[in-house]
Formats: sequence, structure tokens, C-alpha cells
Amino acid sequence: MKKLLLIISLIAMAAMSASAETYLDGFVQGLYGARLDENNPTATEHTASETRLQMRLQHFGDNAEFFSRTDFWYDAADSSEYDFELREAFLKFRLGSNFDFKIGRQILTWGTGDLIFINDVFAKDYRSFFVGRDDQYLKAPQTALRIEYYNSVGAFSVIWTPRFEANRIPTGRKLSYFSPMAGDIVGDGYYFMAREPEAKIENGELATRFSRRIGNFNAAGYFYHGFYKNPVGFDPDAGVFGMPIYPKLNIYGASVRGSIAGGILWLEGGYFDSRDDRDNNNDNIPNSSISTLVGFERQIANNLTANIQYQFEQSEKDDGVEYTDDMNDARTRHLLTSRVTKLLYNELVTLSGFVFYSPDDEDAYIRLSVAYKYTDELNMAIGGNIFTGTDEYTQFGSYQRNDNIYLKFTYGFSN
Amino acid sequence: MKTTIKLLLAILLVPILINTAVHAQEDAADLMKKSHLAFYYAGDDGLAEVNMKIVDKRGKERVKEFTMLRLDQVEGGKQMYYTYFRKPSDVSRLTFMVHKTPDGSDARWIYVPSVDLIKPISADDKNSSFVGSDFSYEDVSGRHWSEDNHTITGDSTINGRAVTVVESTPIDEGYKGFAKRISYIDKENLLPLLERYFDNKGNEVRQFTADKIEDVNGITTLVTRTMSDLKKNRHTTIDFVNIEYNIGLTEDIFTERYLKTPPREFIK
Repeated sequence: MKKLLLIISLIAMAAMSASAETYLDGFVQGLYGARLDENNPTATEHTASETRLQMRLQHFGDNAEFFSRTDFWYDAADSSEYDFELREAFLKFRLGSNFDFKIGRQILTWGTGDLIFINDVFAKDYRSFFVGRDDQYLKAPQTALRIEYYNSVGAFSVIWTPRFEANRIPTGRKLSYFSPMAGDIVGDGYYFMAREPEAKIENGELATRFSRRIGNFNAAGYFYHGFYKNPVGFDPDAGVFGMPIYPKLNIYGASVRGSIAGGILWLEGGYFDSRDDRDNNNDNIPNSSISTLVGFERQIANNLTANIQYQFEQSEKDDGVEYTDDMNDARTRHLLTSRVTKLLYNELVTLSGFVFYSPDDEDAYIRLSVAYKYTDELNMAIGGNIFTGTDEYTQFGSYQRNDNIYLKFTYGFSN
Repeated sequence: MKTTIKLLLAILLVPILINTAVHAQEDAADLMKKSHLAFYYAGDDGLAEVNMKIVDKRGKERVKEFTMLRLDQVEGGKQMYYTYFRKPSDVSRLTFMVHKTPDGSDARWIYVPSVDLIKPISADDKNSSFVGSDFSYEDVSGRHWSEDNHTITGDSTINGRAVTVVESTPIDEGYKGFAKRISYIDKENLLPLLERYFDNKGNEVRQFTADKIEDVNGITTLVTRTMSDLKKNRHTTIDFVNIEYNIGLTEDIFTERYLKTPPREFIK
């Protein structure tokens, strides 16, 4: 059945691309990743060994547009099977002069952070992010309806995702993680599973934003009604041993971004209203919290751009508990990040480094890569992902056995 | 006696010389202004499909294709640019927007469709390369005539056409783009047929040539141009095809809304 679908879609793409208002392009990519830690308990030896074909198809009608981005791949690291994903398939049209519609499977992004997300509540794919896949794979698609309304006051966006779309986080197959239940970093034999909200109309996700330009700055306000995108809750009554769950969540947030002092400055904040534990007395559900972010980026030399970000998170106190200094420290988190990008040889070579570092959690995540555009079609990259942490239960410490290096070849094509 | 006459003559002549020098500078600045307007502000707005070919010293070619929209908000002043990339395939559908302020800093945004990401770009350096080519951002949208001192140094001919030769030096001493530029301005259509860029040691480092000039809807237009990097021995040729002027672009097209959804009526 799968095979048939695949063949039909390939033929359809080829047939449609023959007409004038249709564009077909994409890439073929080989990604090979090796783990650096001998003691990684994962199910697979390699963090990646895959061949991927991405086909992009765009068709323009009189007043509407169709776009699809389909990935086909063979996974030699784990399943030894081919698979495919419809990463995007949406139609886009304008109604009157103020309304823009985008309907279907799509990648969604907003907010100001660089790899730090507060009001961007759209699904992330950390399984891709940690093994060297392209940046675009950090975003997982959502099947959604996006309506944007523009007028002289600003832009108002509403995104309705009928079926909750969770973040894709390490499961133990290719990447290990810390299991609070096992009290250890686990992999093979501990396939991570969480219970998603039931597919009911009231369990959809609603994300809204109002944004407008004020001078050199773009200001935005956000509201989200849905669920935590990571399984940060626990239902002790589910199954035999209980199960991780995605607790109910509202987010109220705002952001400002604009140019100042020869660079770009951004500020963002959000209040995470943990709807299942508003009284802060349920130990299985996170307390409500705040998250704030400030960042600045500028070009510091010829073809050299750098940024820094600081994020502060703090969750509310448990109800009726006297807090010691240590306990107060535990409910806050400071995170510093920096990205440095250097372009060489007429922008054909890109050196990139990104560091996440939390001084109080004492953990860090470092991403390094060198990419070379050998021709317009062929791009080669080598990179690494390094995790370190004093403790195993912190965000990056949890992944500390997953250090890997990867090699990636991409051949792009278009009609 | 002789020295007294010389002195008298000198005293009498100096104001005249200064006067003509000042006039020459004014004429030169005026010419550069007219040339700038003819080159970078043709019509009230414009559209062009651009084929860019970057050739390195080994002869290896890289090709970029994009559509460019331009709107003049103030003649000789603020402009808006919109670029929609088609090739190479790793940047296809990517859009890029510039709000240019000649006497201030430009604002630039990029939209990456594969992640639905709008990102403002910190644009401090107008001399940085435009998409890896030999043209800088400043070369693409034009260096404002008021940023340099200009002097007409004579007349010449380029490919059989009469030109005025203008020498320009940056007013800002910290400016790194060039130390001296010699422009050869066509006397008839005012377009620069040749520009030679020199560094502070007097070495010629870059050269701009107008390769093909055509009449487009009554506007004399430079349709093919080349920028050569003489030090790196490489060059970039830009070909404008399907040029249109005065197509009715409005400021709202140069906003985030259209960055995410290119205006189909202009970008086919």
C-alpha cells in the first residue's frame, strides 16, 4: 500500500511538473552519523545512516497556490526500511484584500528566539536536530488552518491545529535519554512512549498572534491554548506503571524585535499557565511558570556574525511549601546561548557554531558544522553535536551520551 | 620687479582658480547625481528577472536566478527592494527585502520558507557581498553621490561613445569600499560605462563594466553588467531580462505579508 502511494505520488509530481505553472524541485541527501560515546545504550550503532529524497511541488492556479514538500527516505541505521513523510501539503489563497489562508500540513514558526522557543508552540523535532539533519527538520509539520488578517493597525494570525502535534524527542532508538523512572540514562529496551491528548475537538491547539511595526521594531502579542508540547506531566493511573502525558497549557506572551546599535535586538516573554495544576499542588503536573529571553545579534567583522541570548525561566512555588534557597534555585533556570557564523571563500564555506550553556544546571549543548558549496547543486557538510552535563536529569545532561559527528552530502535539483 | 608682478598675478589668479575648481566640483557632483538617478532610480518602480553568473579564477561557474522588485519612495532617496530567488535550488522560494535609506542604515529581512521563518538581518556593512557575488549590496542599490567628493578630470571614449571622466573619493575617511573611483559617464544617456575602483595604495582592485544597454519602454537601461575582482581574478555578470518599469508597485508589497507570500501579479 505504502509502495503504491509512493509510486502514484511520484508519477503525479512528474506529470504536473510538465505544465507551465508548476514547479518541481528538491534534493537527494545522504547523512551518516557516528556516535562518539561507547557507552551509549541506544538501540542503534549509528546516530544516522540515511538516504533522503525531498520533492517539492508547487502549482499556481488563478487565485490559489498549492505547495507540497514530501520526503522519502531509507533508514539504514535503525529500521532498514524506506519511509516517507508529507512534510508540507497546503493550499494558500487570499480572500478579499485583507485575509490570507493557508490550509493543510505545514511548517509554522513565529517568535524571536534563535533556537529558543517561548511563544513558538509549533512542533519541534529534536530527533532530527540532534543528529545533523538540516535546520528545516527542527520543525515538525502540523496539520493546521492558518488565517491571517492584515490591516493598517497590524497583522492578526490565528492558527488552529485540530489534532495535537507533539514534539519529537529522543526515544532511545537512536538517541538515549534520562528516564526518571529508571533513574538512569536509558536507550534500547526503554522505547519512550507518552499518551497524547485524545483526538477530540476540544483537544485542538489554538495559537494566535497580533503583530505590528512600531518604528524600527516589530512588536507582537501571543496567546496559545493547548498542551505542553513535551510530555512533562505524568498520569500515575495510566496503564500498569503510569504514563507520561502532555498537560494542558495556556501561554500569554509578547515579543519585540528590531534594529538598534548596528545590530538586531530581541526580547520575548511568556507566562505558561499550567491549566491542570493552577493550584500548584499536583506533583505530577508542572507548576505554571514564566520564561523570558533577550538576544542581540550583529556583524562583528567581514562575513562574521555573532549573537548572544539569555533566557530566564522560573516556575511558581508549590502550594503551602516553605522554600529554602536551594529549592528556589531549583525552580529557576538560566540559559546562555551564542551563535557564531563565518562565511569564507565568497560565501561558499560556512563555519557555524552554536552553544547552549546553563550555568546553574551545569549543562551544555554544542553544535558545530562546516559546510561547503562545491557546486550550485552539491553541498557537503561535516558537523558535530556535543552534550555535556554534571547531572543526568538536566535538559542537556540527559542527552550526554549522544555525542556524535556526521557527514552530509546534498544534491539539489530543479526544473 | 618681476617677482612683484608674479605675486600680483598670483593674488589675482588664485580666486579665479578656486572659483573654477569649486564650479568643477559642483558640475561633477551634479553629473554624478544625474547619472545615479538614471542608473538606480529609473522610472518610479521597476521589475527585472535577473540571471547572475559568478565565474571564479578557474572558470567554474555558479548561477543564481531571481526576480527583483524596486520602488522609489523618494527620487534619489529612500527605496524598497524585494528579491525572490529561484535558483540554485537550495535557496528556491527564499525571499529577501531591503528598505534602503541612503543617509542611514538599511533594514533587511529574509524569509526562509522551509522553516516559515522571517529574520531581520543585522546590516551594518554595505560593502559585504550580495549573495556571494562580486557585487556588494552597495553596488546593487547604488552608492549615493553625496557620499563622495567628485572631480571631472576630462573626456574620453569607451566603445566609441563619448564619456566624461569623473574621479571620486569617499568623504568618510573610515570608508573601506574603495579609496578612489574613476567613473566614465556616457555623455548622452548618463549611465556609467566603466568604473575603476582603487585601494589606498593606488592599485586597481575592482572594475565595473556596462556590457549591454537597451531601450526599455523609453528608458535607457543597462541590461548587462559585470563586476570584476582584479585581485581574486573572478567576476560576476548580471543579466536583466524581462525588465518592466512603472508597474504600479506599492509600499505594502515590501512588508512581511508579501515576504511570506510573493505577489503573484509581479512574480511569476
